[in-house]
This record gives sequence, structure tokens and C-alpha cells, in this order.
Amino acid sequence: MADLLIRDLVKRFGGFTAVDGVDISVGDGEFVFLLGPSGCGKTTTLRMIAGLEMPTGGRIEIGGRNVTYLRPRYRNVGMVFQDYGLYAHMTVFGNIAYPLKVRRMSRDVIAQKVRAVAQTMRIVDVLDRMPDQLAAGQLQRVAIARMLVRDADIFLMDEPMSHLDAQLRGHMRAELRHIQKEIGTTTIFVTHDQLEAMTMADRIIVMNDGKMLQFATPLEIFERPADEFVATFVGEPQMNVMNATLRRGEGGLVADVGAFVVPLDADWTRANALGDQEGKEVRLGIRPEHIRLAAVADALRPVEVELYSFEPTGPENIFVLRTGDVELTTRNPTAETVALARDEGSPMAIGFDPRWIYLFDAQTGRTIAQAAASVSEEELAA
Amino acid sequence: MTKSHTLMVSPDAPPVQRNWWAYVIILIICVFNFLPYLYVVMTGFMDATTSNRPEPQWFFTPTLEAFRFLLFDKNLMHNFRNSLVVSLSATFLSVTLGMFCAYAIARFDFGGRDDVSFWVLTNRMMPPVAVLIPIFVTFQTLRLLDTLTGLIILYTAMQLPFVVWMLTGYFRDIPRRYEESAMVDGDTWFQAFRKVTLPLMMPSITATAIFVMILSWNEYVFALFLTSTGARTMPPAIVAYSIGANISWNVLGAAVVLITAPLILFVLIVQRQLISGLSQGTLRK
Repeated sequence: MADLLIRDLVKRFGGFTAVDGVDISVGDGEFVFLLGPSGCGKTTTLRMIAGLEMPTGGRIEIGGRNVTYLRPRYRNVGMVFQDYGLYAHMTVFGNIAYPLKVRRMSRDVIAQKVRAVAQTMRIVDVLDRMPDQLAAGQLQRVAIARMLVRDADIFLMDEPMSHLDAQLRGHMRAELRHIQKEIGTTTIFVTHDQLEAMTMADRIIVMNDGKMLQFATPLEIFERPADEFVATFVGEPQMNVMNATLRRGEGGLVADVGAFVVPLDADWTRANALGDQEGKEVRLGIRPEHIRLAAVADALRPVEVELYSFEPTGPENIFVLRTGDVELTTRNPTAETVALARDEGSPMAIGFDPRWIYLFDAQTGRTIAQAAASVSEEELAA
Repeated sequence: MTKSHTLMVSPDAPPVQRNWWAYVIILIICVFNFLPYLYVVMTGFMDATTSNRPEPQWFFTPTLEAFRFLLFDKNLMHNFRNSLVVSLSATFLSVTLGMFCAYAIARFDFGGRDDVSFWVLTNRMMPPVAVLIPIFVTFQTLRLLDTLTGLIILYTAMQLPFVVWMLTGYFRDIPRRYEESAMVDGDTWFQAFRKVTLPLMMPSITATAIFVMILSWNEYVFALFLTSTGARTMPPAIVAYSIGANISWNVLGAAVVLITAPLILFVLIVQRQLISGLSQGTLRK
């Protein structure tokens, strides 16, 4: 058990920079997720922590010990691979016992430790089988058991659940989170699935193009994204983002989307000093659940739109709507929207909740103004 | 397309596949292939006069005359021992060395890797006879002529490209994950190779070794030119004993039995490993 410190980590493959200046400080016992699309450098970062890839520059410390260029065996980390990396020629017992055998532990201690961890992972009854006789869910458990059996300083997991079906994944999420908290070993988990990260993480690192975009708690990532990429990557369906121009309208500053005009909250524009940015091109973002929806226009839902597609998910209805060249997705509880039309082309009316509007810089993508109703971590702590 | 197709209705049961004719064809091919060998074996048990008749002899009184001539008069067991020593040693050396070459080519990204692997392949492209004279001179200079050591070195060098090419493909099929996993678990590179990769490679290595063994066992041209009596292996010895001013067919037949019998027995014993090893790459998911 130890903390993890990464300073300005860089990895280049020839002319290609896979990881570009990653700075992370993970506390002892934290469950931290590296989240990003494929090819964003998250797996490379993890492999550098494991020692399977040597950094081009930077520094990695585990428990205060500099391990930057150490070989994997001297780092005392445990790892689960995406395709498990189980040894096909050994039984499940042999697989789990392998790291202990390498450390020349006595036969009794090994048997005892393997039993204990098999009990935790509920795979006691398959210990004598070979890996190719197991189902994906069991393989997953064996791979995790092999990682848990050692007293590693840090656990590393590289998309361990990507081969599981959706139902099993749901189970494993709760179970992994529970086990991680129970054992209390610092864990770094790589995933491209934002739901996995949101549901299990203490803190999430969002990466794209080798760069670290934001390192914060799931709630902070969701409510106060650092930029447009983070905002759209997290949340399902993703945040609606459209081009807009800030200008002075009736009753204060508005965002002109082209097809319609979005009035902005006066206090919020003042707090974010938007008044002197009149005429600026921005990107306006709003999450699907913050769009009000009705059959006919009224004061709160002034924008008339046309239904493009209707997607019921059970508890919620998703409406994809169009007006002009803007496409919007809304997400509302089924109970509230059950009376609405569902045929393509039906006219509908929408309105944006002014407390949940985000503004992003059109060039850099950085967040200019967080939603008025969002609460930052510091505010929560205070 | 036509109207009648759309009027077709499914039969009540799935159609039964009748493939008996395929087995007939296979049987015919097998018999056709086996007959010449059968006749050669039969010739080996004939006496000199019977075997030299121009028309085929299907019925005769078997005799061990030819075997006696080869084994006792000519002491063929000496050549048999040479063949065994040379092919076993060459197989062991070429597979061991080739295994590490193949591993390096499959796993490590070093400068000129593609050139090295292409160079290895081109070694196989040249007809061996083309280098016969330079090798003869080299052997003469190094006093390797008519020695088992010389043949072992030569066969090892000859088989290495084949081994490297076979095994490189198989090593590539084994995910790097296994070794990485073992290294994170605390192994050194070599431990990971020995305890994880090698066991997984065993069927492929066995298959390659069997192949190399057979090639070395049957090698004729170099053995003919580079050995005289001391280190002479089976193939040139047999030709020498059976083909002189005229061909002693029964001796040749007996020799064929003696040289192929160990091979056939060997392959029968290891055929399971051979097949599983050769198909390993394609069968693994």
C-alpha cells in the first residue's frame, strides 16, 4: 500500500507522442480511473507505471520510492490485463499461485493465500480447472485474484471488464469497488467506459491525445468539466453542444444559436464576467436532462422543434429533435413525457434550463462559464 | 431468380450429406501412393536374380539375403549410428539456437530486424549444391572432412533458417501479455520466457524439431561429398552399396526399408504432436 506520484511523464514512440506531460498525485488507498477514448495514452501511462514501457521523460514514485526506470519485478505492483494474461498451461490454482511461487514462498503459505483470495473472488470451486474451461466472468475473477494474492503496493487494471457482457459488468462494478475499499490498496484503473469510471472511481483522470485534461471527482467531472471534450465524453446521452454568439438582447445577454436565441441568467453572466465579451463566438453546452420538453410552446419552452427520432429506454424517454441545423437530444423521465407525440416529424417545443448552461471557448474548448447550479468540490467542502 | 425458385418449399428434414464418394477417392489416392513403396519393400526381400528380372515379380520366396549383405558384410549399422548422431545433434542445436533467434525477431524491436529476418529467409533460397565447392574447401582447411562434427555444424547451419522462420510465426501468435504478466508478477525476462512462453510453445517446437530431424536424416548431397568412410551417413552409404557397375535392386530395396523404417516408426509415435503443433497458430483464438 502506497501513494503514487507522477511528474511530467512523457512517452514518445518515434515521432509520435503517446503521453504528453502527465502529472498525477494519488493518495494511499485511492481508487483512481484513467478515462479516455482509445489511443489517448491511458494504457501507455499505466504500462509505464507497471514498468512494461520505459518513459521518455518524467518521474514515477511509488510510496516515495523513485521507480521511473526500474524493471517491473522491482516495483511491487499487481496488474490485470485486458485479455487477462492467464497462463493457458496452468490450472487456475497455478495461475493465482504463480506470483507467490516466483517469490519462493512455502507451499503451505501459498495454498493458504490462494484459498483466501479464491474465497474473496468466489472461485474456490474452479481452482483445479484450466483457464480454457472457464467462462469470461470467471476468467476475469481469476485474473483479479492473481493480482490480489500479492501484497502489492499498487494495483493496476487495464480495461479488465471490456470482455464481459453488460449484466456481468454491472455486478463486477459493485464488487470491485467493494473489494478495493475493503483491501484498501491504491488502484489505478484504465477504461474508455465513462459509466465505469463515474460509478466506481474516487477520482477520475480524463485524457485525450496524450494530455491530461482534468483530474477530479466523478461529480466534479460531470458538473464542472474543464473543457468541451470532458463535457461531451462523460454523460449518456452526451451533452448537446452548439455554436453560439453572445449578444445583447431584450432583458440582458443572450446566446444566439442561429435557429433560436437562448436567454442567459443575469447573475450568472455577471459572475462569469460575460458582459464584456459581447459578440464573442462560443460553444454552448447543455445536458439532455436539462432541456424542458412540451407539445406546444409556452414561456418556459419557447423554441419550436421537430421530432427526429424517439428512443424509449424504459424509465426515461430520449427525444432527438431538430430545428434549423441544430440537433438536440433530450432525456426525461417516462412519466413526464408519456403524453407526448412519438412520430417522426411531430412538432414539439423546448426550453433550456438557464441554471444548467455551459459555455466553452470556440477555439481552445476550455470552459468559459460553468453551469450556475453546479457545485464545485471546494464549495461542497466548505 | 426464376419463378420456380420462389415456389420451392423446405423439405421436412435437413438434407443428408452423402459423401461416400470422397472416401473412395481418398482410398484410391492412398493405394496409388502406397503401391510403389510396397513394391520397394518387397524387392528388399527378394534374391538378386528375382529382383533383376525386367517384369514385376509379385510372387516369390522371401529371403533376407540383401539385409544380411548390408548389415553384416557392409556394416550398415555404423552408418546408421552416424546418421542418428548427426541428425539428433543438428536438430538439437538448430532448434535451440533458432528458438532464441526467432524469439528475438518476434519480440524485440531492434534496428534492422526486418533485414535480419529477410536475410535468414534468403539463405533458404539458394540451392545447397551451389555452395558445395566452397564448403568442401572450407571443410578441408578446417580438417572437418569426414567428421561427424563437420556434418553437425553444416546441418545445423542449413536447418537454422527454417527453424527461425517457423518459430518466429509461432512466437508472434503468443500474446506478449503472458510474459508481461509474468514480469509484473516478479519474473526476470528469462524466467518469463522459460516458465511461461516455452511451455506454450512446446507443441510448435516439437513439430519443428521433427521436421528438422527428418530433413537432416534424409540429407544426401553434402553427406556424399564431405564424408568418405568414418562419418558416412545412411543415404550416401546406401547408394554406394546398391549402385555400382549395375544396380542391385534387392539391396536398394532393403536399404530403403532400413532407412525409412525408423522414420516411419518415429512419425507414427509423434504424429499427434506433429499435427497439433503445426496447426497451433490457426487453432488458437
